Amino acid sequence: MKHLKIKASFVLMIAMLLFSSLSVFAQDMNEEAAEAAQSTASNINWLIAGIAILLVFIIGMVFDILSKVGDVQKKPIINWGRINANLALVFLVVGLAATVWEFMVHGKLTLFALPAASAHAQEYDNMFMITLALTGVVFVITQILLFWYTYKYKENLKRKALHYPDNHKLELIWTIIPTFVLTILVVRGLIVWNHMTSSKSENAMNIEVFGYQFAWNARYSGADNKLGRYDFRQMGVVNALGVDSTKEFAGDDIITSELHIPVNRDIYLHFRAKDVIHSAYLPHFRVQMNVVPGLPTKFSFTPTLTTNEMRVKLDNPNFDYILLCNKICGSAHYRMKMKVIVDSEEEFEKWIKQQPALTAKGTETNNAFSFKIKNSPLASN
Amino acid sequence: MSAVAMHTDGHHHDDHGHHKETFISKYIFSMDHKMISKQFLITGIIMGTIGMLMSLVFRLQLAYPDTKFPIFETILGEWGKGGKLDPNFYLALITIHGTIMVFFVLTAGLSGTFSNLLIPLQVGARDMASPFMNMLSYWFFFTSSVIMICSLFVQGGPASAGWTIYPPLSALPKAIPGSGTGMTLWLVSMIMFIVSSLLGGINYVATVVNMRTKGMKMTRMPLTIWAFTFTAILGILSFPVLFGGSLLLVFDRSFGTSFYLNEIPADLAGGIERVGGSPILFQHLFWFLGHPEVYIILLPALGITSEVIATNARKPIFGYRAMIGSIIAIAILSFIVWGHHMFITGMNPFLGSVFMLGTLIIAVPSAVKTFNYLGTLWQGNLRLNPQMMFAIGLVSFFISGGLTGIFLGNAALDINLHDSYFVVAHFHLVMGSAAIFGMLCGIYHWYPKMFGRTMNESLGHIHFWMTIVSAYCVFFPMHFMGLAGVPRRYYAFTAYDQFNVFVDMNKFITYAAFIGGIAQFIFLFNFFYSMFKGKKAVQNPWESNTLEWTTPVKHLHGNWPGEIPHVYRWPYDYSVPGHESDFIPQTTPDEGQLDPLSEPKAVPAPERKKVPTLEKEEAVLFSVVKRWLGFAQ
Repeated sequence: MKHLKIKASFVLMIAMLLFSSLSVFAQDMNEEAAEAAQSTASNINWLIAGIAILLVFIIGMVFDILSKVGDVQKKPIINWGRINANLALVFLVVGLAATVWEFMVHGKLTLFALPAASAHAQEYDNMFMITLALTGVVFVITQILLFWYTYKYKENLKRKALHYPDNHKLELIWTIIPTFVLTILVVRGLIVWNHMTSSKSENAMNIEVFGYQFAWNARYSGADNKLGRYDFRQMGVVNALGVDSTKEFAGDDIITSELHIPVNRDIYLHFRAKDVIHSAYLPHFRVQMNVVPGLPTKFSFTPTLTTNEMRVKLDNPNFDYILLCNKICGSAHYRMKMKVIVDSEEEFEKWIKQQPALTAKGTETNNAFSFKIKNSPLASN
Repeated sequence: MSAVAMHTDGHHHDDHGHHKETFISKYIFSMDHKMISKQFLITGIIMGTIGMLMSLVFRLQLAYPDTKFPIFETILGEWGKGGKLDPNFYLALITIHGTIMVFFVLTAGLSGTFSNLLIPLQVGARDMASPFMNMLSYWFFFTSSVIMICSLFVQGGPASAGWTIYPPLSALPKAIPGSGTGMTLWLVSMIMFIVSSLLGGINYVATVVNMRTKGMKMTRMPLTIWAFTFTAILGILSFPVLFGGSLLLVFDRSFGTSFYLNEIPADLAGGIERVGGSPILFQHLFWFLGHPEVYIILLPALGITSEVIATNARKPIFGYRAMIGSIIAIAILSFIVWGHHMFITGMNPFLGSVFMLGTLIIAVPSAVKTFNYLGTLWQGNLRLNPQMMFAIGLVSFFISGGLTGIFLGNAALDINLHDSYFVVAHFHLVMGSAAIFGMLCGIYHWYPKMFGRTMNESLGHIHFWMTIVSAYCVFFPMHFMGLAGVPRRYYAFTAYDQFNVFVDMNKFITYAAFIGGIAQFIFLFNFFYSMFKGKKAVQNPWESNTLEWTTPVKHLHGNWPGEIPHVYRWPYDYSVPGHESDFIPQTTPDEGQLDPLSEPKAVPAPERKKVPTLEKEEAVLFSVVKRWLGFAQ
């Protein structure tokens, strides 16, 4: 029993040491953050953390002492088998409840709680929900079985386990059912994938999205709907994007730092990067494509809700669509974004005519041109 | 080794009397697989602790992006000036955290430790096929770890392009400070690591193929050995590709070539214009290793749990052959799915469809494995000791993380989930947590074999419950952040109004991460304390069937003092009806079984009526399901 006491006091000492250093740390924190508004909150958090550590040590110590006493008495006081079995059951119930709570509370924060903002978003969301439903059923059943069995079949010295090495029929069943379910998911997934990646109609509006450390530009193709050629050696020489305005199709191109797109119009985004790989991520439209230097990539989609309509629907006057960088690209990666505004056709027409083209002649051509396309696929239907 | 080899013919001898080992040959440049496995384990644990502490630093940053932590300046120096973490160093932290965890802990620390320990012991060999290569493998790994740690202290900081080090970011020192010396050291370290992994892998396969004891047929090998063998094969086939890929990146960085670079102006690329290469080529080469790597991590963990679950459920593993089949299926399929990491690199959509098909097919053998685990637990007599709890935890993580893989493997769904927190949640559950649980499960189970003592059980249970709760609390909410479009590898989300709703969640995750971190210190204490003060282990503490428990507790160079035992049966004869004890070691012959190669008497099949000994509520459930599926009433 003697070494027990020594050990216990040793553990207690460590706990005290940890707690005191932590509280000093918390105090430091407090002094530092005295000017900051949330100082009390963070102080309390650190206190909680300290108390948690202390608790853990005390619990550990109690168990240790109990098991030592059990050893002395030759009769274990704590039956970890039973404790674990019960905890497994508690974990299962609390875990499932927490999962449901998460879906109820945090589910509302996801994109699926917003109205679909592009033509393919509905199809995407359906695919997601089907997958969620199927995997959700499997998740619940298997986790229940796992922890229920842990609880139910805990060691009982009066019982012997069932010697049951295999059952081919059963194994066949649980190979075929997943195969069947996955076939459904694969076939549906391929259909959605094909819809999302197949290029849209010929009169889609061509826009180039140009990424560099650490911002985005958009280049509109202007009245001719054709992007002028670029030369990477000219980037930063003639202009940031390296587009020589004297070249064919380039004169009426418009370079902006905001992405305005007209609603219900096929948009064909051409991606280009200057330095490293970026990824253009437009979460609300279910659009993402890597932006690779020296490798042109494309994505086409059709926005269906203007920014204003979305603001009304969400009852949030500050809502904005966004294009953000989603591939690690350097120190300011986390701030590399571009505002995306979906305009009605009239608003878009008005906005784009205010933007100067690369040449004065190009601006004139653009102003004389109507960007409203009568035969847009949605209008013609 | 020659001294040992001479004694294999069964004369009784005392190994210690014959050759004195110096400190260096016993503890440092040891060629004994058991010592090498301990070296791998302890190096892995040290690296794992470093990786974990890094994650706590960046979790603090994510939870309190506006708060100053004076401690950062104390421990990080100029990277934490004024208590603010430098954004470049944040990227360095996540990069090195990923690299350490994936390669140094879960590849070398997991498969290096347990392949080394268990392959010779469980197949019945005196040591590895080439003990010298085995030693080299550890020392290459050690050098590689040292270089990786050194890279933390160089000018410009360590590599910071993410653990996947995609060029051009990793190729252009101008793009990010970490792509200077730090990146060079990363590549050198990785090349060393690959050499280590190949030396080890060849050795493992050679040992399993050639050095099994008499009677150890392939179909009598424990599932651990099957898993380790296929892990080694995966490594041998895939690591050289990364080796080549890394060399080309070294050329691009240091010698002005353009394998991975295209249309990069001269001023960005060290004065030489780079044209004609493809950044996507690197991604193909990287993921050709990178995806099998996931299974290099996971298969040993699954092998370990198969063994632990069977032993502690006192039941044969359910569907032994199906388990082997699924290991082989996973190993083969893992080579044709690497493209699912690259769905949105602009690859041809048809290619995307192929990769998607392959990816979702992998779910089938994975599902079979899960159901077989559940089948093993059913009607077992579960000894819920720490290793068993960790094994059960692994199955739980494998289910949770595996199912989200079905979302990400779907090319269409991946468009909006790619590189979001959903991905972070997915791989930390299925690959991170599950594999770590497999590793911890193995440590608790084989600790008596490694150190001759047992770890403290109560601390083990506390460690388990704190770890599983904190792991779920950390990673489960991340799914929802991902579904809201929150990108990974962001230093802060303060620039985005729409992500403000996750401020509280980020704090919660950080608290949970700290609780998990504390739990790991409990483990570390338990691990090192038990090494000297733990309860003395008996020869077969878990009453297991496999061969390693027939060796003496005190380690011998050569494993068995006398002849290597012969093997008469498969390793899962637990609770065989008609036998008094609930386990029959592999070395026990059946009555009248003289030749180890002949099969033991078949266990009488449970009587027809007894097979569905379903409990009442299960019987009701099954009959409902049966009726629903259209079987006879």
